[in-house]
Amino acid sequence: MPTTPGLRRPAAAAAAGTAAALVLSSCAVLSTSVREDDTPESVSTGVPDQPVTLRLAFTDDPPTQALVDGFTEQHPNVDIELQQTQFTDYIKTVKLSMSSENPPDIAQYNSGAMDSLVPAGLILDLDEHSEAYGWEETFPTSAMESLHIDPEAAEYGSGSLYAAPGALSVLGVFYNKSLLEEAGVDGPPQTLGGFEQALEQVQDRTDATPLGNGSLEVGGFQIWSSLLNVLGDEDEYRDWVYGAPGASIETEAAKEATGTLTRWAQEGYLPEGTSAVSDIDAQADFAAGDSAFLVTGNWATAELAEEMGEEVGFFLMPGPTGQEPPVAAGSSVSYAISSQTENYDTAAAFLDYLGSAEAAQIQLSSGFMPVDPDAPSESEGVMGEVNAGFGRVIEQESLLPFPDFATPGMVDQLTPGVQGLVTGTTSEEEFLRSLQQEWDEHHE
Amino acid sequence: MNEGATNAPRPESRVKRRGRPGRASSGAWLYLLPAVAVYVGFLVYPAVSTLQFSFLEWDGIAPPEWGGLDNFVQAVTDPLLAEAIGNGLLLIVFFTLIPIAVGLAMTALLIGRVQRGTTFYRVVFFLPQVLPLVAVGTTWRWVYSDEGMINQFLGLVGLEGLARPWLGDEQFALAALGLIGTWTMSGLCMMLFMSGAQKVDTSLHEAAAIDGAGPVRQFLSVTLPGVRKEISIAGVITTIAALASFDLVFVTTNGGPAGATNVPALLVYRLAFNEGDIGAASALAVVLTVLVIALVSAIRYLAREDS
Repeated sequence: MPTTPGLRRPAAAAAAGTAAALVLSSCAVLSTSVREDDTPESVSTGVPDQPVTLRLAFTDDPPTQALVDGFTEQHPNVDIELQQTQFTDYIKTVKLSMSSENPPDIAQYNSGAMDSLVPAGLILDLDEHSEAYGWEETFPTSAMESLHIDPEAAEYGSGSLYAAPGALSVLGVFYNKSLLEEAGVDGPPQTLGGFEQALEQVQDRTDATPLGNGSLEVGGFQIWSSLLNVLGDEDEYRDWVYGAPGASIETEAAKEATGTLTRWAQEGYLPEGTSAVSDIDAQADFAAGDSAFLVTGNWATAELAEEMGEEVGFFLMPGPTGQEPPVAAGSSVSYAISSQTENYDTAAAFLDYLGSAEAAQIQLSSGFMPVDPDAPSESEGVMGEVNAGFGRVIEQESLLPFPDFATPGMVDQLTPGVQGLVTGTTSEEEFLRSLQQEWDEHHE
Repeated sequence: MNEGATNAPRPESRVKRRGRPGRASSGAWLYLLPAVAVYVGFLVYPAVSTLQFSFLEWDGIAPPEWGGLDNFVQAVTDPLLAEAIGNGLLLIVFFTLIPIAVGLAMTALLIGRVQRGTTFYRVVFFLPQVLPLVAVGTTWRWVYSDEGMINQFLGLVGLEGLARPWLGDEQFALAALGLIGTWTMSGLCMMLFMSGAQKVDTSLHEAAAIDGAGPVRQFLSVTLPGVRKEISIAGVITTIAALASFDLVFVTTNGGPAGATNVPALLVYRLAFNEGDIGAASALAVVLTVLVIALVSAIRYLAREDS
């Protein structure tokens, strides 16, 4: 291209424009620095009589749609508009929308997003509503822990309340009854040793994979954390996930849990190539009878019951002696309120509804665990077994958080770390070290 | 920003320079305005913002702090980055070199005598380009799986010994991933080369044939020089696709197993959206951009016409 004098000028103009854009945009970024006020001016319980429209951003359905329908049925003057985003995109979209000029009134809680939103003052501090409604009494303690955050979002389990649970989940082991029978395993294993024995028997006596799994996403580290939860100290683990100062994952119990997982992989109890299998594919394989056990959460119950009928059962990961109090990992589908909304009392009334007996029925029928643990549950089959296991865990206040909750980047250490463990390229020490490094960097 | 330009041409200069190519007039700038606005708004502005974010300590929401070159130091000292760039470079073999070779071979076969069915082959080979990579990735994950099509085929021909879960195998995952790239990029290369080869004057082929050149000689001496520009373009597009690959890796292996298929764009994504470290993610993106520009410039230099 020939450089004529005529072309120089636009080039200079473009350069000047670019420079101007640079300066202007830096002002734009640097000016959004005011922390919003996140405490309500006054708090009242109940729903106002005039028509109210709320917007709710969420990712998990069920249970969101059914819960919203249940609430608006009780309060016909309240209209709730739903904005669903699929899970992989939810963190980034909810961060952007909650920090926008016109945020949704309610948003499904997500620790990765709250890490930025709470310190920015964009999420409503619910302490006063909680007191007015008596939420600490209504909602189970272990489901509320992770919803308390200190002002810097550095530590969970302490500080103000920022969300209320709408439905709970619990992690456990599903099993295929006829495969267990074929392998000569008598009912669900009662101890961890018994579980390992059962895996071996399935391998020896059937064509099925003993422990179905996909480690492409979360399935791999769910086995690991289940083992850690039954082998290790509950409080030590909680401290680490919630970010208590000085907590560490490089413990004897974690080494034992990691060692158990690698041993199972080396023995061939896990499917070949599990690192490239997604969770949903692993669940489909289990439902088709290709594997005997599957570590996953209650969210799979409805689908598995539909496909396998009476063939499928559920138990909590057993401890070494089988006499330990029940413990399991779980989380909640929870909802937080924007500090920018005028209708926070109506939004809080929705959160209160989540702990009601009517909501419990909706939570149960959509495959979740009820927030109100005393809600009567008449479900049979595998659903009943999941409910029973969950009830025991809630009674013990032993519902533990998932390990990827520890820091926003932890999932990117856990997933490849477990892949390295099961393919034999990462040692147990390296794995735990990488988790602790990520933790230290986040909490320094 | 185009104010200076619209004021620029004065009446005298307009008379003096009338009709000269390359001169801007106010009318022309007005026509350009929509395109310039879109370009600046959606390309220049985000790019400049990324550069600017790369100097900040920022989680995307809280007030940003000036971080100087910290993010760049963090980016280039991250051991994962070197590995990821290495993987990206290796992907160039599968995204660029093999597709160009396949594209040339297809062009040689389809150009000239074979007329019937050319459109059919063109559509079939170009189809992978049209499909969204997310769908492509999910399908290939099944094709490569333990009991997938490839292993079933190996079993049928008695090669069970070679069967493995390709994407779950640390040694083969990257190559398996790369071959998906080969599959998608070959059609694109073929399309480009076909259009280039069709521009070549048929009399050149006839002259070569009269001089006794066979099909191979004709291809090497007539068609190949004729598509030189297209090869350079294909090289640039596919190299960028290899180094900046994200969607395909994200849905098939997500960097696994154990980081064997990490690519730079995946690290950028994790930093920005999982960890909320916009500054470090932007710095990494800037490093990646510089790398891509360097490589693309090298390709353009090697493929230049007047050497």
